[in-house]
Amino acid sequence: MRILLVEDEEKVSRFVVRGLVAERFAVDAVHDGTSGLEYATTYSYDLIILDLMLPGLSGTEVLRQLRRKDQTVPVLVLTARDAVADKVENFEIGADDYLTKPFAFAELLVRVKALLRRGPVSRASVLRVADLELDRLSQQVRRAGQRVDLTSKEYALLEYLMSNAGRVLSRTMIIEHVWDESFDGLTNIVDVYVRHLRNKVDEPHEQKLIRTVRGVGYTISDEAEL
Amino acid sequence: MNTRSIRFRLTAWYAGLLAGSLLLFGVLTYMALGHYLALMLDESLTKQAQQISETLITNINESGDAYVIDEIKEHFAPEINGRFIRVTRADGSLLYVSGLPKDGSFDPASIPVSLAPPGQEFSREERLPQGKGMIIHALPYASRDGARFLIEVGALDQQIGSVLHGLMLALVLVLPIAVAVAIGGGYWLMKRALRPVDQITQSAERITSRNLGERLPAPATGDELERLSISLNGMIARLEESFQHVSRFSADASHELRTPLTILHGELEAIVQRRHLDTDVREAIGSALEETERLAKIVESLLAISRLDAGEVKMERERLDLADLAATTTEQMRLLAEDKRITLRCDTSRRVEVEGNPSRLKQVVVNLLDNAIKYTPTAGTVQVRVGAANGNALLEIEDDGVGIPAEALPHLFERFYRVDKARSRQMGGTGLGLSIVKSICAAHGGQVKVESAEGKGSRFRVELPLANGTHKPVE
Repeated sequence: MRILLVEDEEKVSRFVVRGLVAERFAVDAVHDGTSGLEYATTYSYDLIILDLMLPGLSGTEVLRQLRRKDQTVPVLVLTARDAVADKVENFEIGADDYLTKPFAFAELLVRVKALLRRGPVSRASVLRVADLELDRLSQQVRRAGQRVDLTSKEYALLEYLMSNAGRVLSRTMIIEHVWDESFDGLTNIVDVYVRHLRNKVDEPHEQKLIRTVRGVGYTISDEAEL
Repeated sequence: MNTRSIRFRLTAWYAGLLAGSLLLFGVLTYMALGHYLALMLDESLTKQAQQISETLITNINESGDAYVIDEIKEHFAPEINGRFIRVTRADGSLLYVSGLPKDGSFDPASIPVSLAPPGQEFSREERLPQGKGMIIHALPYASRDGARFLIEVGALDQQIGSVLHGLMLALVLVLPIAVAVAIGGGYWLMKRALRPVDQITQSAERITSRNLGERLPAPATGDELERLSISLNGMIARLEESFQHVSRFSADASHELRTPLTILHGELEAIVQRRHLDTDVREAIGSALEETERLAKIVESLLAISRLDAGEVKMERERLDLADLAATTTEQMRLLAEDKRITLRCDTSRRVEVEGNPSRLKQVVVNLLDNAIKYTPTAGTVQVRVGAANGNALLEIEDDGVGIPAEALPHLFERFYRVDKARSRQMGGTGLGLSIVKSICAAHGGQVKVESAEGKGSRFRVELPLANGTHKPVE
């Protein structure tokens, strides 16, 4: 999978490239709008990550010209501007997703993968992590064959964690996915729900699946150590 | 009526001064008239005495006593005119005394003879037994043949009294009327003169930080009020400029802070996701990440507040049911309350429609409810109520928690204000939650208020205008 990153902040560009390369993507990074458009039209990419405030051609302009040339490559817009009007404008001219700085790399990664697969992260009807099983059709959860009763929020939370198994999800991502952005940052609601979920899913068992990664968020995996 | 208004005070002063000067005028008129009337009466008495002496008494030896008496009766008719006339001979015998006056107001016979220094004309006042006063002019006179007489002419001072009484009556009637007319007229004039001030005040009250672009009316009348409007407008313009400056600054600052925060967060995240990291390094980086995240939230919130306050956000508004919004949000947060064994009650039975941005208004509920749950001890109660009163939609969130000290209440909605600094920071949060609530309410044309008693609990009350066309529900 080949990704083009158009980002003028060198340090931002560096850690994004490093992170994406670690996830085994091939990444080209350019630092201005003009070369961004050049690369995007010259080579074939599976995804473009595009900053909006660029020297030369602005990100919005790059996107507009790309779409005019019937380039359907998915574009993830990255920006320090988060005004609603901006968001709407960029979706209108054909951005596929939008991420506001500062962002967690984990979040970028989840969005990148979602865009590349063009659909839900995992469409399997049964999700499995170790001996934990979640059936999307019957909405039932079993641990070691034993049925676990969850509230609808707990279920949504577990489904989100399991469909991104092995990946660390930030509280912001969880809130926006399971609740909505009104809850962002102001409550420890995620922590409380995760604790309740742990009590039901992990508490009675030797192997703990849900883990806290301090400063980053939560993850579910059957690996002993991250 | 506002007794401290300029209108009232000026009218009162004006009426007081007018009443005072009218009173002074009345008293002076009264005294002058009394004096003048007494003088006139005395003069007429003197004249009569002189006439009697010069035309009749002079020739008494030729004309005879009877003629004199008849002449006096005929010419002066003292009984009809209410006068007293007496002519006494030098030996004390009576030549003539007038009879009982027609109205019987005095008895001439009872009036003692004036004891006059010889040859001198004088006036005196006699107190009559009935308590009446009589002014008597006495004129000693010698006839041509040398016989001496004392001529006395008198009149009751009652005559003066009745005129003065009439004047007094007129004054007492007219004075209050004049003062009343002056008050009414003055009040009306002041109202007219101050109407532009009222208009300026009303316009000035409408101007808040959200519509600093508006200006006061400044009719080109060339008067002091036009100058006032113009200088107030100048002040609003300067305010607007500094407001814009501040909000532009916080927007720019937030923006400039985002990039370094992104880098910081990205670098730290890359480290913490490495395998085989020392636990204490992992802890330290994790802690740094948490702080980065908090910083990011603060930047986010500051930007949101400055946008809301600057009125920049053209919020997408829709008609929504505040009761439903509050109920849904409360349900979503129920677990937070249950986690502390807090009873969370929600009374949102009736539809209350407002015109607003759902996600912003939801943020209001979330922030207030989060606060209430945070500051209510285990096993407390938090109540959410939605209702309507006086054309406003009301959202109340009440807890029986720790409460807020009275001295903290006025600052509660200020940015970064923390009641209990150590405690609230430890609980996390940005110190901006209530500021955001305030800004959101203000951006919706509403407001948020708080009542609290320390140790008993707090009640936050959000008031928002009801959506147009909503029937005012009867409480």
